[in-house]
Amino acid sequence: MLVRRISQFFIVYGAGIGFLLALKSILGLSDYVIPGPLEIWDTGLAVAHGYLYDVLNTLGVAMVGQVLSIIMAFSIGTAARKSSWIGSFIKAAAYNIQAYPIVAVAPIIFILLGDGFAARLIIAAMICYFPLLLSVVSIMSEPITDIEHFYLATGRMRWQLEIKIRAFENIQKLTTVISGSATLAMAGTIVAEFIAANAGIGHAIRIALYQSDLAKILAALFLIGIFLSLYQGTLEWVGEKIINKWVIVDQEELP
Amino acid sequence: MFLECRDLGYRYPQSSEFVFQNIFFELDTPGFHALFGPSGVGKTSFAKLLTGDINGYIGKILKKKDATFLYTYNQERLPGWSSIGRHLEKVTPPGMTDLCRELVEAFGMEPFMTQKFSQLSLGQQNRINLIRYLLQDFDLLVMDESLANVDERSKENIIFRIKELFPQKFFLYISHNLMEVSKFSDAILVLLKAGKQPQTSLIKGLNIHRNDVINSPELDAVLLGIMNAC
Repeated sequence: MLVRRISQFFIVYGAGIGFLLALKSILGLSDYVIPGPLEIWDTGLAVAHGYLYDVLNTLGVAMVGQVLSIIMAFSIGTAARKSSWIGSFIKAAAYNIQAYPIVAVAPIIFILLGDGFAARLIIAAMICYFPLLLSVVSIMSEPITDIEHFYLATGRMRWQLEIKIRAFENIQKLTTVISGSATLAMAGTIVAEFIAANAGIGHAIRIALYQSDLAKILAALFLIGIFLSLYQGTLEWVGEKIINKWVIVDQEELP
Repeated sequence: MFLECRDLGYRYPQSSEFVFQNIFFELDTPGFHALFGPSGVGKTSFAKLLTGDINGYIGKILKKKDATFLYTYNQERLPGWSSIGRHLEKVTPPGMTDLCRELVEAFGMEPFMTQKFSQLSLGQQNRINLIRYLLQDFDLLVMDESLANVDERSKENIIFRIKELFPQKFFLYISHNLMEVSKFSDAILVLLKAGKQPQTSLIKGLNIHRNDVINSPELDAVLLGIMNAC
């Protein structure tokens, strides 16, 4: 799975570079607009060390932000699963707030918190949080009647059991949503860094943009892609392990 | 009176058509009773009204005070995270362990207790589901196609065992199998299509027990009675 993800990224990245070089060739663009392959390679080697640190920095913030958003989404999502007044209120609020672009709120966060770690983390978590919340709410508010009926009829149903049943029955969806949200967390962190932060690969891309250095941007994109693929691949692997352990029948149990 | 329905009627929410109406029905003798009728006449809705799984009816349902009514159906599933044996352990009330063991044996489920629900055949799934309901505290258990996909011999054995183990309980068995309803049930409430008046017909079944010999003319009479009512 991990290998497949990385090889897919190489194909997409290669196609992107190929497209740019074709564009350069067809339109006769200068190296200043789109650098040649050799310049891209040389620039990549030159910035690799510094960008590697920046990407790891960004990935670290994205990971913490994602964990935070998962915790928040599951807490709020499970509270909102009931068709009670508070449940409906949380759902309506979540749908309305997520419709508002978080990036537009980002400047306020930077004004209030400055351009350090906290601002990046909050923006990453917020961008990742709302889609996660909507998925969790939709999964957790859907009763699994065929299983839950017995517990309801016999008075055994507890909220913990209800959540366990719904999570178990939707484990595949939940792991997919969580691994998918890694992209959002990473995008959120990069956007935050791009807007105003003082570190991370988004910050490096902003500097490269001011220098109109496409080679540096392409090098940054390459590292972002590689590390995001690695991170998502790892999440999917962990998700698969959880599913195997919890859901798939253990052959040793068979008589 | 254990259960009485007076002028009972029901229509689905947002529907102007009644699924059934003007139903009068009494149940006062414990045992194995049945609810029979063609598909779509509202057997499940009727059963769910009795057990309180759905509301919004007209008329009256009078139940014996503090009586517990349970409804089980053939598509219920057990959680998949543990074996069925472990699940049964968890849902068996204190003091019912022996009964649990007896039911597992009588229902032919002993060899499968280490398996997970999804590994069982449909008939085995229905049997294990019924076992867990039988272990609960109930006065009336509605069994909605609860023995579907179970072979005839096992089904017969299970029904006989239920009659032996729970002589003081009420059972309302919903099935489309005319023969088994006629043979095993005491009172058979035949539910007819909407618009027919009266909408129900109560027929006395053979209510056979283990080792009883079936009297063919009597069985024919019951079968004919149900067919004519439908």
